[in-house]
Amino acid sequence: MTFVVTQDCIGCKHTDCVEVCPVDCFYEGENFLVINPDECIDCALCEPECPIDAIVADNMLSVEQMPLLAINAELSKVWPNLDEAKEPLPDAASWQAKPNKLSHLIR
Amino acid sequence: MAKLVKQRVTSVKHWNDTLFSFTTTRNGSFRFENGHFVMVGLEVDNKPLMRAYSIVSSNYEDHLEFFSIKVANGPLTSRLAKISVDDEIMLSEKPTGTLIQEHLSAGRNLYLISTGTGLAPFLSIIKNPQLYDRFDKIILTHGTRLVSELAYRDVITNELPNNEFFGEQVQKQLLYYPTVTREDFRNQGRVTDLLASGKLADDLGLAPIDPVYDRFMVCGSPAMLSDVCDILKAKGFSESRNGYLGEYVIERAFVTQ
Repeated sequence: MTFVVTQDCIGCKHTDCVEVCPVDCFYEGENFLVINPDECIDCALCEPECPIDAIVADNMLSVEQMPLLAINAELSKVWPNLDEAKEPLPDAASWQAKPNKLSHLIR
Repeated sequence: MAKLVKQRVTSVKHWNDTLFSFTTTRNGSFRFENGHFVMVGLEVDNKPLMRAYSIVSSNYEDHLEFFSIKVANGPLTSRLAKISVDDEIMLSEKPTGTLIQEHLSAGRNLYLISTGTGLAPFLSIIKNPQLYDRFDKIILTHGTRLVSELAYRDVITNELPNNEFFGEQVQKQLLYYPTVTREDFRNQGRVTDLLASGKLADDLGLAPIDPVYDRFMVCGSPAMLSDVCDILKAKGFSESRNGYLGEYVIERAFVTQ
């Protein structure tokens, strides 16, 4: 079991999740955060912290969100660790409801 | 992983074949809120082997205390169960958690619903004197299979009521409701069934649970949490989420092996 950051986070990066993670398993890209599934202890704290509900348990992923499981695993191995919350991206509000966010992921 | 520090074991108490508690030294810089959990572990093969543990001690105490299961082939607990005084354990410096009374809106009664080692965070919480100013009654339930698993009964029924600072409030306001599923005991049955049927409130002489007056903190297995959430939602309670106050908060009782 792991929690997964879904595409809703792209362009927003609120980082409330990072503040509560007991094992600091968040990794940061330019416009997206991911969770390292090998480090996540499944404590479920980050999920309700996200103001836009972008974090989902791996057994609750929708079909559209399913590819994010592998993307979290892959990118958490190459992106730098983030262990403290920071300001959300400046355009977070306008990105929140954007459709097809996955095509905007900057790797 | 957050930074790890070493702490020295200062006492160990085995409750039975499956449960034990231990206390450790605490650095002055280690700050937490009552109800928080933190990663605790041992160095195994030169690597830290860490699991999440709720902190049993309260944040004004000068030591840390943890309550654990022991499983013969559990990677961490089989080793942790063998620790003795003066051994060292590893502790992360990032306590965190959801069982925080500030996440709950104002209410009259606070129900602390636990099964198994899910009792741990509530021991920290009931040792917080401010809790007794905020709520009229604090109802602490502890559901286990066996009577021998009802750990901390003496602390709850003898030590705390005689605490020199807030013992009087404990005597008047703390209602302890242990219940056992597989042996004879004065309270029997699953916490979830007792909550759903209304027997819990009835046995304690309280009105049926009501989202206007009652607040809940819940700690147990994922299945127990799911059942309690269903019961509370059906009665109109809402969970604290996204920084908004709610009528209940939940947390997993983490270590299962």
